[in-house]
Amino acid sequence: MSEAAATMAIMAPPEAVQAPSYTAEELARYDGIVQRYTRHVYNIAYRMTGNEADARDLSQEAFLRVYRALRRVQPGAPLESWLYRIVSNLYIDLLRRRPRVRVESLDAPIDTPRGEMVREFPDAAANPEAVFEREHIDGAIQEALGTLSAELRMVVILSDIEGFAYEEIAAMLRVPLGTVKSRLHRARQVLQQRLRPYVDARRRGWQA
Amino acid sequence: MNHHRAGRLLSAYMDAELPAKEAREVQEHLLDCEACREAHDRLRATRDLLAGLPPAEPPAELWAAIRQPVLRGRLAAAVPDVRPQGLVERLRAASWSLGRERWFPVRRPGWVFAAVVVVLALAALPLVKGTVDRLHASEIGVDLYVHDHAVQMGAAPLVDRAYLGLVAGDAELVMAGENPRAAGGRTR
Repeated sequence: MSEAAATMAIMAPPEAVQAPSYTAEELARYDGIVQRYTRHVYNIAYRMTGNEADARDLSQEAFLRVYRALRRVQPGAPLESWLYRIVSNLYIDLLRRRPRVRVESLDAPIDTPRGEMVREFPDAAANPEAVFEREHIDGAIQEALGTLSAELRMVVILSDIEGFAYEEIAAMLRVPLGTVKSRLHRARQVLQQRLRPYVDARRRGWQA
Repeated sequence: MNHHRAGRLLSAYMDAELPAKEAREVQEHLLDCEACREAHDRLRATRDLLAGLPPAEPPAELWAAIRQPVLRGRLAAAVPDVRPQGLVERLRAASWSLGRERWFPVRRPGWVFAAVVVVLALAALPLVKGTVDRLHASEIGVDLYVHDHAVQMGAAPLVDRAYLGLVAGDAELVMAGENPRAAGGRTR
């Protein structure tokens, strides 16, 4: 079965999908998918939503869809592409259901007479030593990710956290390669500004 | 390659996602341009910060929820069977689940269904009959109205608006079925 068909099956509303009784073998296959992808799916969902409860709901829903469409999924086929697309789409649904959490995108350039300008942000860490504390860094990165639009966030998570190549990301999100390139660059620029103390600390680390 | 264009390609250059020719041009520009070298280093540091994030560990409840069907060894636990069924099967399934709770133990949903149909038919009968009567009445509507009106007028003339109009002297009564023009001519 083609990947597109598999995705169609998986993205179909749950009511339309038959859920037949599975054999032990099929359940084992499902378990294999679960073991292989749960950590990645959860990690992406967590970095997208920024909180455990939403990440859990999103991951659970994604696997429920996999489960319902199990028979339409070719055994042994790589599932990253459409599994992460499901996560992305579910996240967009989540935003739609909860429009109040949408804030103005801070990464959007501001139009000025001299062309577009990107906003600058005050130092995220007032305490210089906190720059080296792992937990502090995680929190700051998560916060900085939260300021990105969903589109930019998804691209930067798939690229820099999950380590996918541009072409893979383009296939997952169904956007042109050039779009991945420009979104990723914009996302990194915003993050770089928001995380300036950490970025500088890291560069000093290279030089030392 | 100009400074602005090189600046936009820095991310892709750093990820080795540029075609060879463009990559070479960016590389050459970086040798000449201090600002782009610094921007490049910052982007690289940003990327490394993200790459260094420890993966978020899925909570135990999530594992339990996702693996539920596997653990139970059957599908019905996690996903309700939503196959389209005949009405009788669905009723049977419903009565079974109710029966299990000892609330409404029905063995023969077919009979229940038949009984419901009979009750509904009996309830609907007067409604249907009433409608038929009304349709009949509408066929002779005007005469029936005039007749009822005449009877009521005889009984209580002072509450009858047509009669009062006659008394006031400006009513043009038209008998049912009569040509209005002819009637008008007659009253003059």
